[in-house]
Amino acid sequence: MPEEAAALRLEGFSYRYPGREASALRDLSLEIEAGSFTVLAGTSGSGKSTLLRALCGLVPHFHGGEVSGEVEVAGMSLRDHGPGELAAVCGTVFQDPESQVVMGGVRAELSLPLEHRGESAAAVARAVEEVALALGVANLLDRRTDTLSGGELQRVAIAAALVHRPALLVLDEPTSQLDPVAGDELIWLLRRLNEEWGTAVVIAEHRLERCLPAADRVIAIEDGSVACDAPPAEFLDWAVRGGGGLATPIARLFSLAGLGPLPRSVKDARAVLRRTGLTPAGPDRRDGARQGGGETGEAIDGARPRRSLRHPRLGRGAKAPAAIETRGLWYEVENGPRILAGVDLRVEHGERVALMGRNGAGKSTLLRVVKGLAEPTRGRVERAGEVALLLQSPGDYLIHEHAIEEAGPDALAAAGLSGRERANPRDLSGGERQRLALEVVLSGGPSAAVCLDEPTRGMDRAHKDALAGRIGALADAGAAVIVATHDTEFASSFADRVVLMGQSVVIADGPPAAILAGGWHFSTEVARALDGAAGALTPEHGARLIGRELVR
Amino acid sequence: MIVPTYRERASALHAARAGATAGLCLAFGLVCALYANPAILLAVIAAAVTAGVAAGVGRELRRAALFAMPLALLVTLVNPLVYREGDTLLVRGGEILGRRVDITLEALAAGGLAGLRVAAFVIVFGLFSACVDPDALLRMFRRLSYRSALTAVLATRLVPVMARDALRMGDAARCRPEPPARLAVARAALSGALDRAVDVAAALEVRGYSVGGRPERLRRPWSRQDIRVAGGGVLVAVAALAAAVAGVGSVEAYPRVEIAFGAAEAVLCALLLAGAALPFAGRGARLGVASA
Repeated sequence: MPEEAAALRLEGFSYRYPGREASALRDLSLEIEAGSFTVLAGTSGSGKSTLLRALCGLVPHFHGGEVSGEVEVAGMSLRDHGPGELAAVCGTVFQDPESQVVMGGVRAELSLPLEHRGESAAAVARAVEEVALALGVANLLDRRTDTLSGGELQRVAIAAALVHRPALLVLDEPTSQLDPVAGDELIWLLRRLNEEWGTAVVIAEHRLERCLPAADRVIAIEDGSVACDAPPAEFLDWAVRGGGGLATPIARLFSLAGLGPLPRSVKDARAVLRRTGLTPAGPDRRDGARQGGGETGEAIDGARPRRSLRHPRLGRGAKAPAAIETRGLWYEVENGPRILAGVDLRVEHGERVALMGRNGAGKSTLLRVVKGLAEPTRGRVERAGEVALLLQSPGDYLIHEHAIEEAGPDALAAAGLSGRERANPRDLSGGERQRLALEVVLSGGPSAAVCLDEPTRGMDRAHKDALAGRIGALADAGAAVIVATHDTEFASSFADRVVLMGQSVVIADGPPAAILAGGWHFSTEVARALDGAAGALTPEHGARLIGRELVR
Repeated sequence: MIVPTYRERASALHAARAGATAGLCLAFGLVCALYANPAILLAVIAAAVTAGVAAGVGRELRRAALFAMPLALLVTLVNPLVYREGDTLLVRGGEILGRRVDITLEALAAGGLAGLRVAAFVIVFGLFSACVDPDALLRMFRRLSYRSALTAVLATRLVPVMARDALRMGDAARCRPEPPARLAVARAALSGALDRAVDVAAALEVRGYSVGGRPERLRRPWSRQDIRVAGGGVLVAVAALAAAVAGVGSVEAYPRVEIAFGAAEAVLCALLLAGAALPFAGRGARLGVASA
């Protein structure tokens, strides 16, 4: 390919899935330069994933449907070349690493694309070695793929997509199943590959704050069309003007505080704050957070005030039993690692707890033990009543042919699915399935506790806000709500307490302002920009602080 | 997991090339296919278990045996209900759907032998699944029928993935206020398996599967483990074929059960066990370097 050739060119491209009336993509015209790093932004269902599937040829060759217009990937026309041929110039990584790893061993997985191309054994061996080193998976080469963690699997999938050095790499929400550490590492790894190998990267992501610092360009897709195509700074201006749905937290912070230009990274934000004399004053340590136990901390100035945690059915002065209490909880796998090691946790009625920690810290296991899906090796769990648990994959709850068979009309209405009674749950969007599954687990009547395991994977901000509202309603009705999440922004939006787990144990427990304002990875973008000043976590709170010149 | 999955281990069967280990398993399978003689089938089960335990996959074979038992029992019980042949009447039944149901000792014995054969097949397949690297097997077959081999390997890989999906769906069902019937969960798991298969097919497409050419032949010198394991397979296969040609191990179920067992059968059984032990016997079988 000549150096000046575009990695990607779309000319009036439209696409409609088979059996659908509306087009998923409409009249897209754009060109992506070789060696650029482009972020695709957009709300759920806007057409990002469909566009990525068109770039690798799955649309229309694999999915069928009607297309018009032209797509050229590194000079190869989509009309004349299917996904197999386009694979020579376009590496593809999907959201779920489990479904895209084909072989049993990592080395075989990395070799497969080259073997398809008939490369010699020596060339395969060298390419595998090099890509494994580049992506930091050399130590995994002799591992079985079913023994890898989600982050490791995702790296292996990227290595398999890059092993033949394609001109273009497209990724569909590759960090959605990773913890903040692994997610950040992955983005910077992509940027390094982009810079060192010159591979053009097109990545679709909901959590733009993670990607924008690495991006050269942002393309916002709305309803299948290009709504904005600009460098990150201009995109942020556009996003803020449009209501902030796609704006990053620090962009919204600056917009609300009347500062400019809108920063695309925490580093940029700090520089602007310094220039304007609003140097972050450092984290407020009046946090009262306990390390591995003790009392819940006091509220931080400006943080959401703690609500009364008294059980609504008990009178004033009565000592309410906890909704959930675990004492000395251990969970050890036979001939395997310990997952929980002496976890003590008391959650009151009406409390909203964000359970955080890296992948493998024990969050999901704790929720399963609380629900009673898993028996602890030692220790005990006391429950004030029923515990509702929504596991990570909402689709697992939906087993009938029609939505109405999953839950009653009231539950459908609560899920916002009135009128969709006859819809097959598999045809619902991810957000709709999430809402329906939540109503399914809640349909047994009031629960003492509601536990949600990673409910925001792949969700856009509007859906997250709606979920935060539902969590608030459940808590107001007296349920303790415990949400295991990697999403610090989401945690700051609903939680009145954050429990941070390390490997098998609780390492910090306190109000969000105390836990999320002082960390590096487990910290909101606003808190990082303001260096944790006064425990400000959200753009609104940060803007109030700046407005009151509390950050000096 | 019901179906044993391959894990790298420091054993002769794992260290040997996939073709050699698969050949040994295939030879055991050949014995299962050729003989209904219970002594020989028990010997092949013993040989597979011996090799499996020596290779460190005894636990996997135990699971395979547990899976095989109900199947074998089912075959044993169904056969006498279907066949009325045999001289020794055990139960004179009535008529069901116009067909007389008599249970004979011979039909019961024939069912037992068929069940034993099923169990032997399942255990040998368990040994194969636990000791043969599917990726290496694919590499071996790719010059013959690459896509067919890849499809077969994928099907093998999808089994544990779908089993995990089914477990997750079972957990989700337990989280519902009114847990649904198992049949409904199983049906949903099956539908989900189709979705999984489509996802994997899409992943294969974008890895260039549809343009897959005939890959270059890999040349690798034969190690002593390769030679011993392949030797064991050859020994078992040749012994089984030669004995079958010579009429060793004959079994007649009807009209009366006649099972041959003499010196020839004893020698064949011993050879089967020797073939299983060959990869592990003696100083030469020790692995020079433990694999990861």
